[in-house]
Amino acid sequence: MARELNEEDIVRAVERYKPLRGQGTLANTLMFGRVLKDLGFRMGLSQVIDANRSMPLIDIRSRPDFHRALAANMLHDHEDIELFDQVFEAFWQGDAEIEDGIETMEVPAQSPDEALESSDDSGGTVEETLAEQEGAGDDSPMDPDPLMVPTYSPNEQLNEKDFSEMGIEESRAVTQAILLIASKIATQVSRRKKRARRGTEIDPRGTMRRNIKYGGELVELVARKRRIKKTRVVLLCDVSGSMDCYSRFLIQFMYGLQNELWGVETFVFSTTLSRITHLIRTKNIGNALEKISKSVLGWSGGTNIGRSLEIFNRDFAVSMVTHRTVVVVISDGWDRGDVGVLERQMQALKRRCGKIIWLNPLLASENYEPLCKGMQAALPYLDLFLSAHNANSLVHLGHTMRRLVA
Amino acid sequence: MNLDSITVESIRDSLRERKYICDRSLATVVYLSVRLGKPILLEGEAGVGKTEIAKVLADVLQTRLIRLQCYEGLDSNTALYEWNYPKQMLRIKLEEIGSRDRESVETEIFSEDYLISRPLLDAIRTDGAEPPVLLIDEIDRADMEFEAFLLEVLSDFQISIPEVGTIRADKRPYVFLTSNRTREIHDALKRRCLYHWIEYPTFDKEYEIIMTKYPEVQKVMAEQICAFMQQVRQMNFYKRPGVAETLDWASALLLLNRAELDPEIVKETVGCVFKYREDLHHLEEELSGDKLDMDRILKEPATVVGGNAQ
Repeated sequence: MARELNEEDIVRAVERYKPLRGQGTLANTLMFGRVLKDLGFRMGLSQVIDANRSMPLIDIRSRPDFHRALAANMLHDHEDIELFDQVFEAFWQGDAEIEDGIETMEVPAQSPDEALESSDDSGGTVEETLAEQEGAGDDSPMDPDPLMVPTYSPNEQLNEKDFSEMGIEESRAVTQAILLIASKIATQVSRRKKRARRGTEIDPRGTMRRNIKYGGELVELVARKRRIKKTRVVLLCDVSGSMDCYSRFLIQFMYGLQNELWGVETFVFSTTLSRITHLIRTKNIGNALEKISKSVLGWSGGTNIGRSLEIFNRDFAVSMVTHRTVVVVISDGWDRGDVGVLERQMQALKRRCGKIIWLNPLLASENYEPLCKGMQAALPYLDLFLSAHNANSLVHLGHTMRRLVA
Repeated sequence: MNLDSITVESIRDSLRERKYICDRSLATVVYLSVRLGKPILLEGEAGVGKTEIAKVLADVLQTRLIRLQCYEGLDSNTALYEWNYPKQMLRIKLEEIGSRDRESVETEIFSEDYLISRPLLDAIRTDGAEPPVLLIDEIDRADMEFEAFLLEVLSDFQISIPEVGTIRADKRPYVFLTSNRTREIHDALKRRCLYHWIEYPTFDKEYEIIMTKYPEVQKVMAEQICAFMQQVRQMNFYKRPGVAETLDWASALLLLNRAELDPEIVKETVGCVFKYREDLHHLEEELSGDKLDMDRILKEPATVVGGNAQ
């Protein structure tokens, strides 16, 4: 739930349910659940019911205990803790109301069903609420159809539009799409992996089948094979100045992929290399981007691809890269470092890894030729040279990765 | 421990007796979980004691701990049950000599004698004994499919084996799920659980943990260790050290007969705290920079700002 909510939103949500609030903890807990739902929390009736079941078990007069009991039942993500606390404070003002609740717990002013129904018109589903927030002031219609795999498009034009030409509104829509694409790709990848047979043990079905030719006597045993090495994907993204208008989107893509898929490592580089896997292991992409740009040296600065690769090969490749690893480099190839170093490092990387994919956002423009020295030096070692300038190209990349990784 | 008489305090105190220092909010969640029969999903950074609490609680409740370690590719055969195929085949072979009718052999080889029970089935099939503590560790490492399967088990606490029938838990096991958040857990599973995020401990809590586990540690050194930990957790390391690292470090320093920290010994033993080359490198930079105030950590550890690193 990457939401930015301010106090006003919370106060408004709390106010909206004020007329519906009844006497007693049950009725009020229900309303509290509705408020949270309106603010984008995923909330089911079962959670509200369990929250209510918790009440008689704790000392309801102790505000911290009451808070904890509600949080344990209604909160599911530590990134929402702060928001939850704010809503809690706004909703349960003063201990008086809570204490009041114990006295009258048995007689809620409104029956739960009634309360739910009557609040429905003003409430709406989580999805609607989210859509409202996302689409506020947005002219381009969002079409969040989760079944379109993964050619999801907020809008055909946007799919084709170069990232560098997008305004803020458009980029918001595309960000959503990118995250969805990444998650669809990742789910499909993991499903394929599941089918790999497990364990170095006897496969009874295979054994039976193999031994039919001996008239059912067990002569040969068929063993299941375990996938020993996991395929990893290593993403290396250029965040130097020349890539500015693309890197934001690409990091979002990496973020989406990494959060869905096991075994993805993410790095960014400009003049030096930084591992950001741990920074984007969070639900809130806005925060993540901020964290990255704060902690990465040389963001939007110059480029030294050779040196960055050298650091990668020296410090990380040993433990991360095997012959199954797919390394994805995302860069326009504008390099201010020594081309010799770049070439040697590409060679070293190529020897170690399975596939190298280079994504170049400039590749899409008609008169682009990989003339800059850096790109030329890298070309011989690439397995794939793709473009990554718009949402469609990311979909294409997704398909390719699926083929390679699964 | 008598289940009807437990309170938040009694849980906290009995955990404490077994050297697990927990704050009231965690104790409340554990208490609610025991009383409501709802699983707990524990999240938090590595090494803050997510797994440990399940172990200690099993001891408190004087019951078995059944642990299911998750990994990629974990499937229901490994988690639930599996037929003992080699034994079945041998049985069939043996029966070929004899003259028993086919049906009775068939019923026999699909009886419980030929069933290999895995952790989840174990936890549900209590046979009247006290329900065990079921620890499903690092659920984020398992596949999504396994999560969906787990959802089914955790909502009904029953397992159907086509050849044998449905096995239902007469008393629900106490379920702990832990996650390191390498990926998101599905919402539906989260909804089945009580949620708790374990923070890094505060200065005082960490101090208490060290002194509980290793009472022979000198007070000054314990304070210095805590101050150091509080500081580095607020910095940008790849793997921030958890309580497990704190305790490792304390015990290493004890072995070396140290009563106090000094810059030299920090450098020599810092391998207990940081396990990545990049982090060690980063630490060296910080030590020579001014962000990590070693002087203050060593001389006035108690004044180093505590609070939870975010």
